[in-house]
Amino acid sequence: MGALVQDTLEPDAFRKLYPDQYYARFVAEGLRPDGRPLLQARPTTIALGAVSAADSSALVKIGNTTVMAGIKLEVMVPVDERPQEGQVAVSVELTALCSPDARPGRFSEAAHCLNEQVSTALRSGGVVNLQNLLIAHGRAAWVAYLDLYVLDADGGLYDAALLAALAALAALRLPHVDVDDEGKVVPAGASDAAMVLEDADGQRLSAAGPAGPQPIAHLRVGSLPTALTCALYNGQLIVDPDRDEEARAHALVAVTVDDRGRLLGVEKQGGRAAADAAALQSCIAAARVRHREVASLLRQALHAATVPGYSGADS
Amino acid sequence: MEFVSPEGLRIDGRRPQELRALQCKFGVLSCCDGSALFQAGNTKVFAAVYGPRVADIRGQALHDRALIKCEYAHAAFSTGAARRRRGRSRKSTELAALVRGALEQTILVELLPRAQVEVCIQVLFADGGVTAACINAAMLAVADAGIPVRDMVAACGAGHLEAMPLLDLNHTEAATGGLEVCVALHPALDRVVLLQADAKASVDTLEAVTTLALQGCKAAAGAMREALLQHVRSLAARRGAI
Repeated sequence: MGALVQDTLEPDAFRKLYPDQYYARFVAEGLRPDGRPLLQARPTTIALGAVSAADSSALVKIGNTTVMAGIKLEVMVPVDERPQEGQVAVSVELTALCSPDARPGRFSEAAHCLNEQVSTALRSGGVVNLQNLLIAHGRAAWVAYLDLYVLDADGGLYDAALLAALAALAALRLPHVDVDDEGKVVPAGASDAAMVLEDADGQRLSAAGPAGPQPIAHLRVGSLPTALTCALYNGQLIVDPDRDEEARAHALVAVTVDDRGRLLGVEKQGGRAAADAAALQSCIAAARVRHREVASLLRQALHAATVPGYSGADS
Repeated sequence: MEFVSPEGLRIDGRRPQELRALQCKFGVLSCCDGSALFQAGNTKVFAAVYGPRVADIRGQALHDRALIKCEYAHAAFSTGAARRRRGRSRKSTELAALVRGALEQTILVELLPRAQVEVCIQVLFADGGVTAACINAAMLAVADAGIPVRDMVAACGAGHLEAMPLLDLNHTEAATGGLEVCVALHPALDRVVLLQADAKASVDTLEAVTTLALQGCKAAAGAMREALLQHVRSLAARRGAI
């Protein structure tokens, strides 16, 4: 029945009436509706410092998927069990404008999952050595509030969110500060305690460096974990699916790998198809290939923003 | 603190009656019916429009006109102040209501009975003039979605500092707590859609500041109109119409 109608239909009408067959025909030809081969990811861009009110920010686009990451630094007293460590607090929000189904509150399950995935990847990847966030042992440490906003959700949210988080952390600069006798945190050199850093304006002033050039330390990130989402469709592997393809896919597998190609996480949430060992192996291989692309993009962006330690030659 | 130097320049180098650089981009988001990015200096606002479509909640649909909904949110790092708890506050509910009010008077709601138009606004960077920027971004997104309107709505703020009316206050200027007025205007119909002032001021001062804000609205409307025309021209060229 379908075959009869197909030959007389406009392509656009065919797409709307038989979305599955439309997609299956593309995949059978080794192509996708947006013109990509099956194993090619979408064009990716990383822009650093888009929001100067944040201490560090990054805007990542993978195809249409857009994620904005921003970091605000605040001072905290380290918890008793770990007196020499600061904290990174991740929070992911799916904004009301990111997709037609996202409404404040309603989307929270997906946002919570994403939040957990990103913080796990950052933690298990050893991205931030929390001891680098220490100001004074047991008395003061930085807490980096990392807020991720999904502005446009067109598939591969985890890949984009992790990349944005990583870029913002790698570009983060810590103001140089001292702790005075009363236990207050003051900008280095301003020992008269005129500026208390917990105060919002004081923090801004210290970042801008009111009293001449201030030494500022970069937070060196330990490794660069990146993620790739793959779709399994009719036994074929499809790399970096967009939103329509994710809805079509029989199963989705997200693989996180680090610099040395080590596996940090594999996640397959349900789906209609089971993934065999061979399929998982090829997902991991694809994630390693993608890591090289993304890591070199990230190094270029950091290099352009003159973050030391990323000369681009060490890739 | 000195807000206008003896040379007549403000802290960001502008003249008292000068707008910040405006930037309008269309179609910035993929999964909505219309979207826009509006930037005034550092202030940066995204708006997305979903609709017109069938009302989500059938009981809310209006039999004689369209239902306008508005969602507002800002990024936790959007202001220079300490990071605030996310979630909806009274301030953001008020802002959403202001934008909705302006749009209800602008969109030809009676042409779309039983339909719903939803506008979602996300502020990335708030450096003063947020209400005006939200209205302008929402207007551009509505235009991008091809929803019929009475006239363009353009908004602009103005304030009064050091006995001088100043156009389009930035965050530092607005934080002084002096008079700040936000005006939204239908420039072709010459109708004021919204006027908000929230400080004690004499009638003369209010009038001077409002007049300045209205001039700002007209300038902003010109820039938005120009950007919109350019966008439409490029769309037409892409479709081979011209």
